[in-house]
Amino acid sequence: MKVLLIEDEKTLAYEIEAFLKKAFYICDLAHNARKGLEMLGMNPYDFILLDLGLPDLDGLKVLQEAKKLNPDAAYIILTARGNIEDRIIGLDLGADDYLPKPFSLLELQSRMQAISRRKFNLNTQEITLGEFAVDLQKRIVSHTQREIELTRKEFDLLSYLLLHKNRVLTRMQLSEHIWGSFVDDDYDSNYIDVHIKNIRKKLNVYGPTEFIETVRGVGYKIRKH
Amino acid sequence: MKLISKLTLFVTLSKLAVVLLFVFTLPYLIGGIARDYTDSYLRQQKQKVLDVVAKDGVNTYLQGEESYGSYTMLKEEYISLEPVEKNFEIDTIYTDERIIEQDTLNYRVLTHAFRAGEKKYLMEVGKTIDTIDQYNRPLQKIATYVLLGLILFTLIIDLIYTRFLLRPLGKIIRTKISNRKFPFNENSDPIKTTTTDFSFLDTSLINLMQQIHEAFEKEREFTANASHELMTPIGILQNKIENLMGEPEVSQMIQERLIGMQRTLNRLKRIVHSLLLISRIENDQFSKNESIGLKELFNDIEEEISHRLSEKEITMQVDITKAVLLKMINRDLIFQLMYNLINNAIRYNKQNGSIRISDKLRVDGSCAITISDTGMGIPVEDLSTIFHRFKKANKSEETGGYGLGLSIVKSIADYHAITIDVSSEVNEGTEFIISFPRNLIE
Repeated sequence: MKVLLIEDEKTLAYEIEAFLKKAFYICDLAHNARKGLEMLGMNPYDFILLDLGLPDLDGLKVLQEAKKLNPDAAYIILTARGNIEDRIIGLDLGADDYLPKPFSLLELQSRMQAISRRKFNLNTQEITLGEFAVDLQKRIVSHTQREIELTRKEFDLLSYLLLHKNRVLTRMQLSEHIWGSFVDDDYDSNYIDVHIKNIRKKLNVYGPTEFIETVRGVGYKIRKH
Repeated sequence: MKLISKLTLFVTLSKLAVVLLFVFTLPYLIGGIARDYTDSYLRQQKQKVLDVVAKDGVNTYLQGEESYGSYTMLKEEYISLEPVEKNFEIDTIYTDERIIEQDTLNYRVLTHAFRAGEKKYLMEVGKTIDTIDQYNRPLQKIATYVLLGLILFTLIIDLIYTRFLLRPLGKIIRTKISNRKFPFNENSDPIKTTTTDFSFLDTSLINLMQQIHEAFEKEREFTANASHELMTPIGILQNKIENLMGEPEVSQMIQERLIGMQRTLNRLKRIVHSLLLISRIENDQFSKNESIGLKELFNDIEEEISHRLSEKEITMQVDITKAVLLKMINRDLIFQLMYNLINNAIRYNKQNGSIRISDKLRVDGSCAITISDTGMGIPVEDLSTIFHRFKKANKSEETGGYGLGLSIVKSIADYHAITIDVSSEVNEGTEFIISFPRNLIE
C-alpha cells in the first residue's frame, strides 16, 4: 500500500511516517500543497492523508484538485480545525474519512484498514485466531462454524487488538477507541478489564484464549504469528 | 412610569392649573381694571369742574342757588355741589349708595372739597356700579373662551412635540437595550436625531456594546486559537509516545512510565477539547435543526454509561412517560448535556446509590427533566459557582474531573435557551431540573 502524507507540521509527519512504515505501508511525505499535488501527479497512491491547514492552499481546495489527479485513492482528512462544516464539506467532496487532531496512530491505522476492506475489498477473508475465526466485515467471531455472541463493544475491542496484533495496547488506547471523546480519565480504563474478562469468558466456552495476553501494568495484546 | 407619560401628565396638569387660576382671578382682575378706569374718569370730570369754576366762577353751576345737582337721564352719572364748613377737607373716591329721585343706586363716588371765593364747597361726582360692571361679564366670558382655546391648542402642540422630541429615546431603548442579547453580536445603526443628549447616549451605548462585543470576541477567539494551537503539539507528543510504546526493546519499566505520560497527556487533551467545545458552542458553530425523542435520548445515554453504573452498583431509574420530541436542537450537544449531568450524578454518588430521571410537562408548554441523585451533594455556598469554568464543588482527589463538565452543560443550555435549576443538600443528594422551553417541543 502506498501512502502520501500531506502535512506541514514536520515532526508530526515524521511520527506518522515512522508508524506507517512499521505497519508495512510505503509512505511519501509532502510538507505543502504544491509539493503534494506535484507528487500526486507523478505517482499512483492508495491512500492520501491530507492535513486541511496547509500554509499555501486551503485544504479543501487541495482535496478537490487531488481528486481530479487521483480519483481512485482513499482520502483521509487530518485536521485540527475540527469545524463541523469542514467535516461535512470534506466528506461531501469525496473524502473517505475524517480524523480530528490529535488522533491516535492506532486509530489512524484502524480507519485505514476499514477503508481498505470497504474500498479495495482487501482482508475480506476470515482471520484465524487460535481455534477461532474472525470476520471483520460481518463482525462475527465463530468457532467451528458456531457463531459466538459478543456485544458491540466487545467485538470492537477484540478487533482493535487483532488489528494491532503483537503490539501492547494500553487501557487508555483501548478505551479511547471504544468511547471516543467520552473518555473520562483513568476511570474508564478499568472497564477495559471488565470487557476483556467477558470476552475471555465467552470464548473460553469453546476453546483456549491464550492468544489474548495481559501485559501487567501496561495493557493487553493479541499474540499471533 | 415612562418619561413620555410623566411629561404628558405634567403638561396637562400644569395647563389645568393655569386655567383654574385664571378663571378664579379673572373677575377680580377685570373688576379692578374697570374700577381704576372709572376712578381716573371721575378724576377727569372733577378737573373739568374745577377748571370751569376757576375760569368762570362757581356761579356758572349754582346760578345763584345754594347748591347744584345734575344727573344723566338714566341716572348713570351725577354731579352735585354743596356748601360746607370752611375747615372741611376731603378728597377721596369710594363706593356708596345714593338716593336719586327715590331710586337707591350703588355709585362709585368721588368727593372733593374746594374753595371758591369766600365759601367752601363739596363736589361729588358719581357713576353707577352697574355701568361699570356692564362689560365685565361678557369680557370675562370671552377671555375665558379665548384662554381655554389657547390652552387646548398649546396643550396639543406640547404633547405632539414632546412625543416627537422623545421618539429617538424610545427608539434607542427599543433597538439598543430591550431586544439586545449578550454578547451583542449584531451591529446597530446610530439613531437619527438633532438632540445632542440623545445622540450622545446613543453613541455611548453603541461604543459600550461594541467594547463588550470585542472583549467577548477576543476571549472567544483566544480560547479557540489557543486550544487549536495546543492540539498540534499534543498530537505530536501522543504519536511519539505511541511509537515509543511500539518499540520492541522498550523495557517494562519504561513502558509503565510512558503510560503515565500518556495519562497526563490525555488529561491535557480533554481540557483542551472541552475548551474548544465551549468556544465552538459560543461561536454558533452547531446547527440547531435536529430533533430527538426523550426516550431515545436516555436510552442512548444509558447504553453509553451503563458500565459506570454497574461499577458503583448504582440503580438508574428512568421515568420518561411522555412521548416528548425535542426539536430545533443539536442532538450531539443535547446528548452531551444530559450525559455530563448523569455522569456527574454517578461520579459523585455513593456505592449502591440511585439516580432518578423523570419528566414533567408544565402548563406553559415547557418540559422539565429532573435528574436527582443520592450523592454527596453540593454545599450551598458553592451552588452559584458550579457552572463556572475550572470550579468544582467536590475537590476531593478521587472524584477527578477538571471543572469543565458543567461549564459545557451551561454553554449548551444557553445555546438552546434551556434553563437549569439546581438544588442540593449535603450528603443527601443533588437535583438538576432542566427546562426545555415550549418552542423546543414538538
